[in-house]
Amino acid sequence: MKTAINFSLNGQKISVDVEPYETLLEMLRDRLGVKSPKCGCDRGDCGTCTVMLEGRTVRSCLILAIEVDGQKIITLEGVMKDGDLTPLQKTFIEHNSFQCGFCAPGMILSATELLRKNPSPNKVEIQEALSGNLCRCTGYSPIIDAILEHTKGGK
Amino acid sequence: MSELKYVGQPCVRIDGKVKVSGAAQFIDDLDFGRNLLYAAIVESPHPHALIKKIDTSKAEKIPGVVKVVTGKDFPFKFGLYMHDRYVFAVDRVRFVGEQVAAVIARDARTAKSAARSVKVDYQELPPVLDVATALGEKPPLIHPELGQYTHVPWFFPRENTNIAHWRKVRAGDIEQGFKVADFILEDTYTVPRYAHCAIETHGAIGLYDYSGRLTVWTASQSPFTQRHLFAEALAPLGLSHNDIRVIAPFVGGGFGGKAGVSMEILAAALATAVKGNPVKVLWSRAQEFYNTYQRQGVVAKIKLGVKKDGTITALDQTLHWDAGAYVEYGANVVNAAGLSATGPYRVPNIKIDSVCIYTNLPPGGPYRGFGYSEFLFGLESHINEVSKKIGLDPVEFRRRNAIREGDKLAYGSKMNPSGLLEAIDKVAKEIEWGKKPISSDPKKAIGKGFALFWKAPAMPPNAASTAFLKFNEDGSLNILVSAMEIGQGYQTVMAQIAAEVLTVPLEKIRVELPDTDRNPYEWQTVASHITWGCGKAVERAAIDAREQIFDTVARALGKDKSTLYLEDEKVKSHAEVDFILPLRNFVIAGIGKEDGTFRGGPIVGRGMFMPEFASALSDPETSQGGKPNVHYTVGASAIIVEIDIETGKVHIPKVALAVDVGKAINPDLVKGQVTGGLLQGIATVLYEDMRFDKHGRLINANFTDYKIPTAMDIPDEVVPIIIEVAQPDGPFGARGMGEHTMIPAAPIIANAVEDALGIRIKSMPITAEKIALALKARNKEKLP
Amino acid sequence: MPLLHDFNYHKPASMGQALKFLAKYKKAAILAGGTDIIGEIKEGIAVPEALIDIKGLAELKKIEFKNSKLTIGSLVTFSEIIESKVIKSKLPVLIEVARTVGSVGIRNRATMVGNICSAVPCMDSGPVLSAYEATINAKGPKGQRKIAVDAWFLAPRKTSLKKGELVTGVTIAVPDKKHAGCYVKLGRYSGEDLAQASVLVLALPKNIYRIAFGSVGPTPIRARNIEKLINGHLLDEDIIEKAKKLILETVFPITDIRATKEYRMLMCQVMFERGIKAAASRLAGGGPKYGESLM
Repeated sequence: MKTAINFSLNGQKISVDVEPYETLLEMLRDRLGVKSPKCGCDRGDCGTCTVMLEGRTVRSCLILAIEVDGQKIITLEGVMKDGDLTPLQKTFIEHNSFQCGFCAPGMILSATELLRKNPSPNKVEIQEALSGNLCRCTGYSPIIDAILEHTKGGK
Repeated sequence: MSELKYVGQPCVRIDGKVKVSGAAQFIDDLDFGRNLLYAAIVESPHPHALIKKIDTSKAEKIPGVVKVVTGKDFPFKFGLYMHDRYVFAVDRVRFVGEQVAAVIARDARTAKSAARSVKVDYQELPPVLDVATALGEKPPLIHPELGQYTHVPWFFPRENTNIAHWRKVRAGDIEQGFKVADFILEDTYTVPRYAHCAIETHGAIGLYDYSGRLTVWTASQSPFTQRHLFAEALAPLGLSHNDIRVIAPFVGGGFGGKAGVSMEILAAALATAVKGNPVKVLWSRAQEFYNTYQRQGVVAKIKLGVKKDGTITALDQTLHWDAGAYVEYGANVVNAAGLSATGPYRVPNIKIDSVCIYTNLPPGGPYRGFGYSEFLFGLESHINEVSKKIGLDPVEFRRRNAIREGDKLAYGSKMNPSGLLEAIDKVAKEIEWGKKPISSDPKKAIGKGFALFWKAPAMPPNAASTAFLKFNEDGSLNILVSAMEIGQGYQTVMAQIAAEVLTVPLEKIRVELPDTDRNPYEWQTVASHITWGCGKAVERAAIDAREQIFDTVARALGKDKSTLYLEDEKVKSHAEVDFILPLRNFVIAGIGKEDGTFRGGPIVGRGMFMPEFASALSDPETSQGGKPNVHYTVGASAIIVEIDIETGKVHIPKVALAVDVGKAINPDLVKGQVTGGLLQGIATVLYEDMRFDKHGRLINANFTDYKIPTAMDIPDEVVPIIIEVAQPDGPFGARGMGEHTMIPAAPIIANAVEDALGIRIKSMPITAEKIALALKARNKEKLP
Repeated sequence: MPLLHDFNYHKPASMGQALKFLAKYKKAAILAGGTDIIGEIKEGIAVPEALIDIKGLAELKKIEFKNSKLTIGSLVTFSEIIESKVIKSKLPVLIEVARTVGSVGIRNRATMVGNICSAVPCMDSGPVLSAYEATINAKGPKGQRKIAVDAWFLAPRKTSLKKGELVTGVTIAVPDKKHAGCYVKLGRYSGEDLAQASVLVLALPKNIYRIAFGSVGPTPIRARNIEKLINGHLLDEDIIEKAKKLILETVFPITDIRATKEYRMLMCQVMFERGIKAAASRLAGGGPKYGESLM
């Protein structure tokens, strides 16, 4: 049975009618055209579906759309204010941190969450924060090194 | 050579922004409008069975279902090197998960749900789940019509067997070679199957529009090869290359798995069943595991003969490959490995048998390394065992036997220039080879392992790359090639090459993603050959454009062409210091003359590269006489491990890898391949472990139980070392290296484990459990 | 990929409403974090008629420390446990356990109560609650009920929660004397993994220990026999060896896709030794920092 839900997506008020069986990931991608969260495994193992719900990273493939009624969702699109790259994103570009880019949106959200909680993480803390985002291309160190470099400058 | 401005610099990737901003579109991100249909696949639960009957009537009646198709609707064979596969299984299924039918519906949920209503009656046949059974006494034949399959001339199937191809290499006199050996060692090494695990799954959308045009969007490494295979397969429907268009967006990782044609044929075929509607086929993670190419398993029997001083006298290697249900692509892995299974060494007397064997398991196919990781595990482990037994340092053994430029390769032709000795020395130094550290923690054992590696691109002799290059009014340019961006960063490398020739900065260069209608031909983005082959084509296109530029200036302004040069996007002259003509002024508009006429016009460069010296024809019994490999990229690698002797867990403080890239066009991207490739290789040794049950079903088809490394599982330190001994026919001397960085990972770890613990493990993976239980068994033996 | 299963969704505004919904259906499932149940519905393992979303019940979100008792509500996530100052000061080993569960994105949703309600043998929360002799608080149509942890886990995926009941939280009696703990978990690597074996050691003054194993039996195993052997004695190599031998009769690991029986058994011995030494050192004011992996 379709239920109307209301929530905030990247700062905008949205209203959608959803069935209980729709996941948050599907609603974002297929109903609302927000493509940065990806479907890599549909089981919460790979982290590509990561979005921020009430300020915390979550696996949107394991959340029903109907659960986010009244809540605030931020995707990578919303982390960029007015579409401008964040300083962290710029650092990733300068460091050639990503290769195929499929893991990038989820990885960047996890890194963004970390730096909000802990502005000067050490290598181990960065590894733990990113451990839920799988990357097959880079071997992770270009991503980790970029974050370390970024926080050294006190940005 | 004058100083290079772009080539050799660690430039920032030109596709960095599109990916980091989330703007990059992958196959599932493309929108197709409201008439998009979705296909769900009905799959075989059996590893080997005849299809007796398929009842689609119930599924057809479900509201929302548009069409249900089976193998009978597409009795067309397809394949890259051999035509041994149908679009859907027609009369028999050959592996658990094989596609048998498809339900096309208006939404994905209906399609998936309706697929459950398709009833298939099977008659089970005895399955063949390992190479021993496949080669045994009167085995079940997986492809009874093998003798009738069309295939490339350099494959040798044995009809009425399960042997799809047998590559034989014979050089010198093997018996004599062993007779003169002072020491001979024989052993067997086993490598299981592995999965690519690109983070993006396969996907394809096909649209057969009302004008009769078939467009297929695919997450692919090979748009032109796909178009060719679609055209071959669907020719009976009246379709030819002219009617088919393949478009490829950004790809979320390939590693070989998205090369050739696997599930993409479904989108192409299904589109013809629902004319006018685009139809999407998107693989789930589970399907990605069990119904795309897998890296083949191999059992390697190695016999090596050496003299007292370590000189190799003879090598006899038998490789039995578990190649799966269909080998249309995988048989070439067996072929390539067979030709190069000597490793980068001087071996005077050779006997290699590389046998491609059908089994009722998922189809084997291209995977980063293309057979070389698989055989190198055994060979490099075996070399260490031999060195140990004759009392020679394993690095010195490799130095003494290392292949050099001009040496004879296994199949007769000559080895290209290579920095192998330099690589050995640099890696040995980096890892402080010779020093044996002891851990201060009594529960930890430290070991060091060393290995050499090599690989040549495994391609047909006429694999070609072409490039177009066109300017825009602002002096920027677009490069059109059909190489695929799968993460390696080739777009930036192509841009750097063009930038170097035309002096246009990288920010003003776009490299367009492939569209077979618009971009010119590229064979595939595989084999680590794009920098070399496509890069050469781009270099030629840029030189062609530069020629047109100088030609126009000479004709329009009466300048001496030989004095002209480019600098900072301007045409200048050695003879005239004040002559400065910005490119943007005329690369579209032409150069205006006083009488109001114009000379020149839009500058469009064209380049093509196809090696004209490669040949796959050789003696079928010895492989002598051909030139199947354009060149080898070589290198050395070493690792330090710290093993917890109670848990068996392996910690990696340091791993180093030196690779001779000829010329590192972008050193940063080379280092990226080293870091990524090494981790992927390390994972095949320490973590990844594919499990099939007795029924041939893959039981860990997910990331929960097929473990690929996370950010917490990386080595402490990865040291990439770039060696540059120029490849004469490469752009600026470059040759490829994308696959190579994963190849030595297994043997360096196996050798390091042996160094630390004195235990030789001859089968992969080498998990903590395997090490701990081996230690426990050995300790038990030691007890009184 | 869409969930194929059809079910009703309810989000009660009060506990009373929640219990009414539970009573209405033969097969309803509670939805808190959802990291288990949503996956199970996708795989076809769980087919509930309805999901009852309890995230609107604010009273279940509390972490309370009163009268030496720590009560953690059903909606408290593993991330909230990790960030809780009161848990850090009163029961730091619980944070050590929480940090081994999944990854940050999972921990931001997954709840400890959800973990013990799923009662899968590899759950991380079982051993710590077993060693600390926690009670599970349930509410049903007949009122409140407290269930001792030893009576809670019945079999894999089976607890003694009655039909119509809902767990409101878990209460742990924090020892009033000094205490220290250590959780050692066996995974296939350092990244997120389900435990193939685990052990929680609680060290109390005067050489008193409580030991619980996880993932090596159908339910968590409180190793009272080992405690009997070692309690009151100085922890030396001799007694540790004896205890390790006794482990062979205490735990019942199986061979499955993740590890063999033999390796799990061997690791239980290794992990026990490392865990008990670490717990004892921590009690004495030293030892490895909480959260440092010993494997």
